[in-house]
Amino acid sequence: MFHVEHYDVVVIGAGHAGAEAANICEKYGLKTALITKNQSDLGKLSCNPSIGGVGKTHIASEVDILGGVICKIGDKSAIHYRVLNLSKGPAVWGVRAQIDRDLYVKNMKKYIKSSKIELIEDEAINILQKNNKIVGLECLKAGKIKSKIVILTTGTFLNGKIYFGNEVKEAGRIGNSSSKELAKFINKNFKTMRLKTGTPPRIYAQSIDYDILDPQPSENNGIFLSYFTKQNTNKNVNCYITKTNIKTHKIIRNNLDKSAMYSGIIKSQGVRYCPSIEDKITKFGDRNGHNIFLEPEGLNSNLVYPNGISNSLDKNIQLKFLRSIKGLENCKVDQYGYAVEYDTVDPRELKNNFETKKIENFFLAGQINGTTGYEEAAGQGIYAGIHAAMKIKKIKFDNKVFERENSYIGVLVDDLTKLGVTEPYRMFTSRAENRLKLRTDNSYERFSSTINNKVFNKTEYNLITKNIKDEKKILKKIKSLKYSPNDLKTKRIKVKKDGKIRNGFEVLKFLELSTKKFKDFFSVKIDQKLLTKIYFDSKYQVFYEREKKSYDQLNKNKNMNLTNIDFNKIPSLSREILEKLNKHRPTNLNDACKISGITPSALFQIMKYKKISGNKIARR
Amino acid sequence: MFNSGTVYSNFTPLVKSPVIGYRISGDDVLLILKKLTKRNFSKDHSMMKLVELHNIDGTILDKCSVVYFKSPNSFTGEDVCEIFIHGSPLIASQLEQVFKDYKIPGFRLAKKGEFSYRSVFNNKYSLKQAKAINLIINNESFSSLEYNKKILFKGDIVSGLTPLKEDIVNLFSEITASIDFVDDEDFNFKNIMKKTRDFFNICNKLLHKNRTKIEQKNICKIMLIGPVNVGKSTLFNMIIDKERAIVTNIKGTTRDILSNQIIFDGKKFELFDTAGHRSKQGKIEKFGYRKAQKLSKEIDHFLVLKDKNTRKADLTKLFKDFDINKNFTIIETKSDQFNYNSKNIKINHYLNREALFSRIKISSIYNKYVTHKNHKLEFNNSEIEFLERILEYENDIINERDILIIAQLIRNILDDFSYEFGYINNEDVYDRVFSNFCIGK
Ligand SMILES: Cc1cc2nc3c(=O)[nH]c(=O)nc-3n(C[C@H](O)[C@H](O)[C@H](O)COP(=O)(O)OP(=O)(O)OC[C@H]3O[C@@H](n4cnc5c(N)ncnc54)[C@H](O)[C@@H]3O)c2cc1C
Ligand SMILES: Nc1nc2c(ncn2[C@@H]2O[C@H](COP(=O)(O)OP(=O)(O)O)[C@@H](O)[C@H]2O)c(=O)[nH]1
Ligand SMILES: [Mg+2]
Repeated sequence: MFHVEHYDVVVIGAGHAGAEAANICEKYGLKTALITKNQSDLGKLSCNPSIGGVGKTHIASEVDILGGVICKIGDKSAIHYRVLNLSKGPAVWGVRAQIDRDLYVKNMKKYIKSSKIELIEDEAINILQKNNKIVGLECLKAGKIKSKIVILTTGTFLNGKIYFGNEVKEAGRIGNSSSKELAKFINKNFKTMRLKTGTPPRIYAQSIDYDILDPQPSENNGIFLSYFTKQNTNKNVNCYITKTNIKTHKIIRNNLDKSAMYSGIIKSQGVRYCPSIEDKITKFGDRNGHNIFLEPEGLNSNLVYPNGISNSLDKNIQLKFLRSIKGLENCKVDQYGYAVEYDTVDPRELKNNFETKKIENFFLAGQINGTTGYEEAAGQGIYAGIHAAMKIKKIKFDNKVFERENSYIGVLVDDLTKLGVTEPYRMFTSRAENRLKLRTDNSYERFSSTINNKVFNKTEYNLITKNIKDEKKILKKIKSLKYSPNDLKTKRIKVKKDGKIRNGFEVLKFLELSTKKFKDFFSVKIDQKLLTKIYFDSKYQVFYEREKKSYDQLNKNKNMNLTNIDFNKIPSLSREILEKLNKHRPTNLNDACKISGITPSALFQIMKYKKISGNKIARR
Repeated sequence: MFNSGTVYSNFTPLVKSPVIGYRISGDDVLLILKKLTKRNFSKDHSMMKLVELHNIDGTILDKCSVVYFKSPNSFTGEDVCEIFIHGSPLIASQLEQVFKDYKIPGFRLAKKGEFSYRSVFNNKYSLKQAKAINLIINNESFSSLEYNKKILFKGDIVSGLTPLKEDIVNLFSEITASIDFVDDEDFNFKNIMKKTRDFFNICNKLLHKNRTKIEQKNICKIMLIGPVNVGKSTLFNMIIDKERAIVTNIKGTTRDILSNQIIFDGKKFELFDTAGHRSKQGKIEKFGYRKAQKLSKEIDHFLVLKDKNTRKADLTKLFKDFDINKNFTIIETKSDQFNYNSKNIKINHYLNREALFSRIKISSIYNKYVTHKNHKLEFNNSEIEFLERILEYENDIINERDILIIAQLIRNILDDFSYEFGYINNEDVYDRVFSNFCIGK
């Protein structure tokens, strides 16, 4: 028996991927259902109570400007802010917010309930298809449900197993059962692999001796996760820093046989950049200590998340090593650290719209695709949602924004679907060839072609359009002002005496980054945020132009004939890429682009070999 | 298509000579040998066998030596055989015809460089080693020969670029880490910039040091002058001995000036024969004489030839016309015919080559002009050029304050290294980041 409702889309899983997918589908007018095992799971932060950071904020800000929720709800639930990399260019600023766990779930629930999304509390146990096309899904309680599209975002739940030392339990994460029925369907139909990740213990706040520790206060510099956030009214709290010591290291080293990851029980691939404390001690044990950030889990929570000591040691050992740490001498543990091991789908099973190649209208997003992190999940959720909407509602959407050179979501999608993963994939800014351009403070500009009043409420839409208008006005004004080198000299600005007349925008980068100086110089008022944005636009202008030129080159040469080219003679191509090129023998660059595993840098190398300049940001 | 099928090619020139060599590489080598020799080579790895080669119709094509190398223990890593036929281009063409007649799918003539690339592809050689093979063949100096041989036999590790590559990958990793993992360790911009400057300083130093070494003299240039008919060309031919001389490079063979490089006793010489001077010169000879005059500035040493018929005035004129100081030896020729009672060196065309060389003291002439023999080089010419290209980034990078721009520019350098060493990708950089720094929480 089919459930009476007919949905356009059903999203399975209400983590960060699921919430974004459901939200955007609803905004684009799809009849949407969101199924989760438990309402208290909505947008749950399975691991650290924070959102953002370098690379992660980059994805989150793109989700935000596409109409997503992670940043807005994040700001509403934030109790501490920090901006990383503030001393470097804005292309790598990474705002990070500590989140009150309960507030986040509460705010998310409120938001979803106020929308037209139908929230179903149930467990999906099977996916229904006919002739390799989705017809719906089957749930434990509700039975069969019809839907045109299914988006699966079950995170770490497929055949999830958690480990404390030698103790193993079946679970998607602590407190949640794993999804074994659904895993059967996935494993039967797709190539899957097992990955692992870990989480630290949670400590009772009262049991920590804060008096002897260094506090890390919240920074309040007006930089938020969301473009639309004006202020954060929550009480802000401190984080604290402590360190492991020689005693700690000794305890851990002597008990490696009681670690699930080290004793060999877990064989799946972990992450190089999210090492467990066991890893750190084994690899960098000679250091005189590894930092631990004590992060409050919430305003009303009595728990603290000790960031930096994720592990899968035996519970007794965990307590023993914790108590060897300054400030934690008398600590009491609520929940011990554990490692989780789960099934993920090889993301090369996906088309580049995140629909599976094998089953039409079946989309996958989030950790199930081999990634890690809330923001990475959110980015995929909104991406899958938008493409689902494009597929059945034929909404107009400028897909160029998702090209690798235009967004981090583009980089993520391209890496996943073309290269696959060998360890949980996390975003780094260095993954983006176009890092200088992919800034968090210009996402509204990069995504301007997609901004519309369906995904934003009136206030938001007006704010963003007004800001864009204001920016244009100011730019028009300063671009109309012209300066000769002599003019500039009288204003004490040093430029080359090249006789070149520069407009105000070109001069901007020589000024100090100060709103007052700006006003004195151009007689135009500007706020700090916008000034910073256009100041760095001015500074990076040369590089942008060159980058653009090199991508234009690539596009222009898409038809470049490759039939006679001997790829083996291009020394800078990796063996894997060579094998692929030799196997597929693309006839032109465009065909080469489409081969999975062919990176843009490989394309540039081919062009370089054919003596077409590209890829370089030339010297000034 | 590269890397598919079995390929063959001659590895000696196809000219009349004692032997001509063929090499075959690929999966079908044993099959081809079986057809060609009616013999199974599968157990004869690396052994030279004397066999009969057969035409398709069973008649004998040649009787010669064949060696088989079993994969992966061969030059290319594939099955390889080498066939040494008698040095007749006609036999070679018959052999190639037989290869064609086999009609084995994919069996074809190798493309230029294909053997080397197969060996790189099969991890037998690194990119650098394959390049070194080429460089060795084309070497101009013993120093770079020694250097390139080292690369070939010991691998990339001996290249002067290898430590630089390590440095730049490490530097880039640190920059990457300092951006993407700011709060994991204490990164210090000043420190990074210092390392960057150090990197360029090392490049500069190495470049300078090796450039002077490479540019250092390794050849002795000798010019033969003297009146017409004194025996210059005869001496020239005796020295360069078409039959025996190791002639490295045959240059101008026009009438106006003849020059030839030879290696004798491990020493490299370039010899110049000149047209003599006579009162009624033909136009060409006059032209040649002038040309020789011009060249004389570059000449290390002159052998001034005279015989009984040479007048004092002839010599005076020669000394005036050519740029000669103390760098000459007077040699009296045709000593079989004439009797001289001077202390000058005397020669005649009946002397054997060894005796001739010892009389004109060719080794001590060399030592007078070429002081350093074999330099220990850290780079070859193409690597020097590479270094120069890298150094073009120096100013932009060390004057830059914005770490993001620095990162972009250093990424470009890394790409250049990729071109030299083979692919360096993001994952290699991340490997370095995660093993050098304690990243992540
Ligand atoms: C122990 C642990 C440690 C982690 N450590 C880190 C870390 O250090 N750094 C980091 O960046 N990230 C870490 N993460 C990852 C981060 O939590 C996830 O990447 C992110 O939450 C994934 O989002 P998602 O939407 O894909 O899935 P999840 O947030 O896991 O959400 C999955 C949702 O699917 C629902 N669901 C599952 N099965 C079914 C079913 N059959 N029917 C209906 N609903 C179902 C669940 O109830 C849940 O709501 C960790 C995760 C865990 C569990
Ligand atoms: N008897 C004798 N004749 C020689 C000797 N060397 C050269 N000749 C002869 O001298 C003539 C001129 O020699 P050539 O080398 O052409 O002189 P060039 O004009 O100086 O180049 C030739 O006929 C040679 O055979 C020698 O050592 N003994
Ligand atoms: Mg002559």
